[in-house]
Order: sequence, then C-alpha cells, then structure tokens
Amino acid sequence: MDVIEHPIVFTLFGLLPIRDTVVYTWLTMAAIIALVLILKVLKPNLLEYILEMIITILDDAMDVDDLHPYIPLLGSLMVFTLTSNLISIVPGMKSPTSDINLTIALALIVVFSVHIYGMIKKGVWGYLKDFATPIFMFPIELIGQFSRTLSLSMRLFGNILSGDLIVAIVFSIIPYLLPIALTAVTMVSGILQAFVLTTLAALFISSAVEINEEDSKMKAEGKKTKIKELFNRKFRKEMANGESKS
Amino acid sequence: MENLSPEVVIIIVTTIVCGVAIVIGTMVPTWVEGKAAEKAIEGMARQPDAAPQLRTAMLIALALLETASIYVLLIVLVLLFANPLITRFFGG
Repeated sequence: MDVIEHPIVFTLFGLLPIRDTVVYTWLTMAAIIALVLILKVLKPNLLEYILEMIITILDDAMDVDDLHPYIPLLGSLMVFTLTSNLISIVPGMKSPTSDINLTIALALIVVFSVHIYGMIKKGVWGYLKDFATPIFMFPIELIGQFSRTLSLSMRLFGNILSGDLIVAIVFSIIPYLLPIALTAVTMVSGILQAFVLTTLAALFISSAVEINEEDSKMKAEGKKTKIKELFNRKFRKEMANGESKS
Repeated sequence: MENLSPEVVIIIVTTIVCGVAIVIGTMVPTWVEGKAAEKAIEGMARQPDAAPQLRTAMLIALALLETASIYVLLIVLVLLFANPLITRFFGG
C-alpha cells in the first residue's frame, strides 16, 4: 500500500539512498521555518503567544526550578512533532512520523538527553551512582530504558500510521465527505500525540533531575529517616488523634 | 478444503486471526480507558479547582493505555502486509 511503503526517491552522491520520509522531513522543516518567518514579519504577537503556550505546557509538566536548559529541546520536539503529524492534511504530503525510523530516532534523542541532563545536573559519577543505587535494580533500569524507547516510538508511529491508513482505506471505499470527518479525528489525534510525547519527555527529564536534588538535600541535612520510624511516628500520631477524638 | 494450497490456508487463517485480535485488542483497552476517564471526570466534577492537573494526568494515562491497542494494531499490520510465515516456510 502507498501509506506503508517508503520507496527510494533519489540517491545522494551515488551511495546514500534518500527515501521519501527524509524528503518529507525536509519539507516539514522548510514549512516550520517559513511559517515562523512569515509570522515574525506579519504577526509577531501571535508567534509570541504560541511560544508562551508551549512554555506554559512545559512548565506544567516539569517540576524544576529553572526551566531554561530544557526549553530548546522540548520546545523544538513539540513543534516538529506537531507539524509533522498535521502535515498529512496537505494534499500530496505524507506524515514523516508515519515511518518508524523517524519515531525511533526521536525516542532515542529523548532517552539519551534524559541521561545527559542528569549528568549535567549531578556530574557523571554522581548520576551513575544514583542510577544504580540499589545495585540489583541496575539491570531492571537498563531494560526500562529500552522499553521506554520502544514505547515512545511505537506509540507515535502507530497512532499516526493508523490514522493515515484509516483515512486512505475509507477514501478508497467512499471518496465523498466521509474522509473529512476522519481527517479531523486524525488531526486531533496528532495534536494529542505531540502533546503526549513532549509531556512524557518532560516527565522523564524532570524525574532524572529531581530525584538527584532530593537525594543531595537528604545527604546535606544528614537525615536518613528509616521507613519504619516514619510509619511508627505516623501511627502514633493517628493513635493520639483517635484517643483525643474519642 | 483439500484442494487449497498451504499458502492460501495460511492467508485465510491469518486473516481470521487478525480480525479476532483487533476486536479483542481494541475492546479491552477501550473499556479500561473508559473506566479511567470516568474516574477522572468524577474527580473534576468534585473538585473543579484541580481540573487542569487532572486533565493533564488523564491525557497521559489515556495515551499510555492506548499504547496497548497500538501494539495489537502493529502486529495485525505486520501479519496482514508483511506476513513472515509465508516467506519463512514457502520462500516467498
């Protein structure tokens, strides 16, 4: 089928085959740059409003003190994913995210940037020590990284591909009016998937950074409160409350 | 049935299995998603102040639950369009 197959368009320098996904990705990047330049000249307020909206979404998702180091990666991830999900409504275009190679690349960027931000925040050795603090959890954490990559890429790819495929199938059966409604559903799904991808990346990064901060605070204050003591304290408090109430 | 070649039998069985798999594999996640959305909307109605946080958490949870049915869809697509059994046993 036309939606699933990705033929080679041309060969670069005689040895590098360029498939159609790469061409559509270039067109998407050109569309983003053109849109930003046009908005910058005609409606600078709208551009500022859009950027503020993205930053608000990131601020809601992340629980960090300083948001500045994370805005370039997450904001551009959101803008690119949103544009490439929505660009299939242009006739003749195909969503670049309906190819699994691009979504795996995006998921790998997210997964590696989580560790890089953690290392920048805590230092290489400190981050690795935090990563494998109960040493028997280290293999499980490594498997978790792989499954995180797989689920991030498969979610985006499957949603976008299924939307495009359903529109194509319905279009081949009933070409009048009905594909418009399904295209609207696909657009909503594309916006939601871009939001979800960015929010999940923000949550991963914020968890990698935040746990480090809490641990360093605990170490600095010298509080090594055991769970048993915490439970005992809470239990005693509740007992006291109950006795005073009764 | 005796006249059918093995490739045709595999294609028929694959098609039936794909139909059953997509029905079950979308029915169960949709049911669970409905339960999650029900609870989240109950919480929003009870505490309208916490509605934005609940909405964000609900969307993330729904997307994570949706992943299960997307996996089923991917397996069904592989079975329908790039069936590995035919090329393995009959050499394409």
